[in-house]
Parts: sequence; structure tokens; C-alpha cells
Amino acid sequence: MTRSLNELRPVYVVGIGWHRYQNPSETPYVELGLTAIRSALADARIEWPAVESSYVATALLGMASGRPMLRHLGATGAPLMHVENASASGSTAFRHACIEVASGISDVALAVGVDKRNPVRRSDTGIGHLAEDAIVPFTHFALLTNEYAVRHNATAEDIALVAVKNHRNGAKNPNAQRQQERTLDEVLGGKRVSGSLTALQCTPIGEGAAAVIVASEDGIRRLGIDAGRAIRTTASVGRSERVYPPGTGFDAALTKETADLALAQAKLAPKDLDIIELHDAFTVEELHYIESIGLCPEGHGVRMLKDGALDIGGQCAINPSGGLIAMGHPIGPTGIGQIGEIVMQLRGEAGPRQHGGARTGLAHMVGVGAVCYVHILQK
Amino acid sequence: MQPNKLLKPDLYFEGSNDREGATVRLKGGRCRCGYVFFPMQSYGCERCGSHGNALTLCELSANGTLLAEATVHLHADKNRPAPFTIVKVALDDGPVIRTLLADDSAPVAPGQRVTGRLAPVGQSESGETVLDLRFSIAS
Ligand SMILES: [Zn+2]
Repeated sequence: MTRSLNELRPVYVVGIGWHRYQNPSETPYVELGLTAIRSALADARIEWPAVESSYVATALLGMASGRPMLRHLGATGAPLMHVENASASGSTAFRHACIEVASGISDVALAVGVDKRNPVRRSDTGIGHLAEDAIVPFTHFALLTNEYAVRHNATAEDIALVAVKNHRNGAKNPNAQRQQERTLDEVLGGKRVSGSLTALQCTPIGEGAAAVIVASEDGIRRLGIDAGRAIRTTASVGRSERVYPPGTGFDAALTKETADLALAQAKLAPKDLDIIELHDAFTVEELHYIESIGLCPEGHGVRMLKDGALDIGGQCAINPSGGLIAMGHPIGPTGIGQIGEIVMQLRGEAGPRQHGGARTGLAHMVGVGAVCYVHILQK
Repeated sequence: MQPNKLLKPDLYFEGSNDREGATVRLKGGRCRCGYVFFPMQSYGCERCGSHGNALTLCELSANGTLLAEATVHLHADKNRPAPFTIVKVALDDGPVIRTLLADDSAPVAPGQRVTGRLAPVGQSESGETVLDLRFSIAS
């Protein structure tokens, strides 16, 4: 018989930390990663030797980048593994750290994501393609933007409002790469990238690090961790793309099936969610995914956006961190940073971007391939 | 007249001529489970996992309906200078493909009928005209 995460022993996030996401710089990845880990250890008020296992999420650093970073914390001999799962690398590392603790193999585990913006290299499958070399991610999503706009009678202005909201949230986040509010005119008037997408509707290229420490109740007691600040992971689901009917957007279909499973695992309905951190690398994705998660019927996302229902303080705050558009998307760190943001919000420690009364948060990432990971955290 | 050379002969071949020039057929595949895919491959069926003799070549018509278009304004690859337009097409024979809109095509919008043709895209070293698949509004 198989079991889901929440049928194993409870697992809690007890420490969160970042190195700010930023434009590419000369700072070595080791420094980015160590900053995030030390800040997560300090947040948990534990020392490095308490960490029994490490999951290092990175997509662009190449082979075996973890140990040259972790050794500077004091080489304890604890196991470490590297996780590469495209944009979902960090979410995947978090899932496996949770599983290790929930299973009872460890009491305390680290998930850390770190990346520098090195060139992406993908191996040849041996199958030819017509023009895939000309269809980079922003064009994949420009095509989806065109389809969404036509199908749901949405304008370029409607869709760009996602970026206005997320830049507004990012402006209040000291760990965000972009910390500047933008008007709709600024968003629409920026550099055109592909289709109706402009630069401020696309995630920036950047680097950074994020870390979270997870622990069991035994670990929390033994280490004297403040249980009042611990946030439980109540669902973890990972899925990969199936064959959908021709013309179906696989990103949205995959998100729907993954989110449905996660909500069922936590015994929640979409209306129970106070916070969602989701993969808004491009504006149209936020509309697709809130509809896939079930916040509203298909095509109604723009109405919720315009009503302020997706704002901090609204019905469900979407991407209070600023999301991938404003906080940034350094790849390996991103999914872990989402967990950190939700933990901060559920603790009530999010300062000027606090969503009042937040008790339940959902983190969603898709990764090219395609894979999808959804986690739910509850106070 | 110099003969033509196809840029990607693994993916398509020249059909009979019509008024507008050479028509093109796509080299898709069909699994014994009924799944039709593009391009042909023999690794295995994405729907059911069958491989080997279960997968056979299946010619696909290059006629279809436009699902989406996007004109690319920025592209890092110097070999393919922007702007160019990418189209997403639901082929009448089933698969959805994404490729380039012909440079001389009128603007397209979702829902329109489109068709793929072979268009000259350059010269080979031996002087042949190199042809590649491009879509435009169906005439
Ligand atoms: Zn099959």
C-alpha cells in the first residue's frame, strides 16, 4: 500500500533564508548559497551539525556543485544529493527533503537552491524538429497569450495587469530582484519581446539562493526549535506531462491534475487557500494557473485580477513575493523561495506585504519537460 | 533549372505541384493504438509505449487551422534574425505543430485556415535552392 506525505509523520518548515535574487554578478555561487543556508539556520536557531541530510537544487551550475559549497559550513559527513528538474528543481528538492523527514529516515533536512545564469544546455534526443530552435520559452508563452486573449476576449492590457500587481508586491520584498512598482503604461511600453509580451511581463535573468530547513516533531523537541513558528507541509505532489487531447495547453492541464491531487491530499478546496505562489514566468501563466487550480472558472481570471481579489489583502493573494516576474527566477532557488515566502506569510512575519490572517498557502511550479510540483503548507 | 534540396528531409517531402508551387506532406507516425504523432520516430509511442513494428510512417497533410501566432521581436540566435512569426497549427490529420510563418504571408489570426508549403530559404554549396516548410493563409 502506498501513502501520501500527510499520512507519514508530520514534517514542518522550521527555517527559511535567502540570498537576494539579483542581476548576474561576479559573486560566486558558493557565497550565494552559504548566505541563504546560514540565514535559514539562524532563522531556525539551530547549528549546521543538526542537519542530517541536504538536497541541493541547481539547474545551471554543472556537476557536483554542492559539496564545494557545503564544506564551508563544517564538513559533517552528512549525505547530500543534487536535484535538477528544470524550473521545478527547488520544488523537487523540497519534496524529497520532506519525504526523508516524514519517512523517519532523518529528523532535520535542508533543501537549498542556488544558481548562476550559465547557458542552458539540453541534449539532442535524436528526433528532428521543424523550428523548435526558434521557439524559446517566451515565445511558447506568447503563443499561449494569443490563444488566451482570443478565447476569452482578453486584451493585452488585461493580461499585463498581472505584471503591475506582481511588480507592486516585489517592490515590498527585500529579496526580490526587481523592487520597483510599475504602471500599466510602463509595463506595456517596455521593450517588446514576443507577441504581446513586453520585457516587464517576463521573468528577468538572474542569480540567487534560497534555503529551507524541515524537521520532524522529534527534531523540533530535541533541538528546542520554537514550534510556534514551525509551519507544516500538508501536501506534496509531483507529476509529469501526459498525452492530452490535441490543442490542450499542457501547462494548464498538468497544473490542474497536480493541484487537484494536492488539494485532495490536504482535504482542502481552492476557496480555502489564502496565499498562492505560482510559476508566473510570463504574465498569462498566472491567469492560466489560478483557473487550473480552481480559484475561478476558465476565462474568469482577468475579472478576479481587476476586482483586486488576487492582491495582498484580497480573497487569495497570488505571488505576494512578487512572483517570478518581480522576485525573479534564478531556476534552482525559485521553488524553495516560494516555500519560504509562504512560511513567512503564515507566521505573520511578512511585514509590509503581509496578507492578513493567512493560514493556508499553496506553492506551484512547472518545469520544462514538462513536470509540475505542488505543495500545501498550513498553520 | 537547378534541382531543389530540402532543408529537413526527415520531416517532410515534396508532394505534387499545384498553382502556388510544390505542396508538402509531413512525415508523421501512427501507432497501432491509433495515436498519430509528428515527426515520425521509432523510440516508442507516447500514449501507450508500444515500439518497433507498432509504429509506422503516416503521411500528414500540411493543411490545418491556426491556434495561435506570435511575432518574435528578440531572438539571441544570430542565424535567425528577428522579427519572424511562429505559428501553432492544429493539422487536419491530428497533431499540433509549431513552426514559422512564411515571410510573405499576410498577417494571420487564430481560427484561420492555413497551409504549409515549401519555400526557398537559401542556396546549398552546390547551387541548389534549399526549401523549408513555411505556413501561410490557405488560398
Ligand atoms: Zn500507442
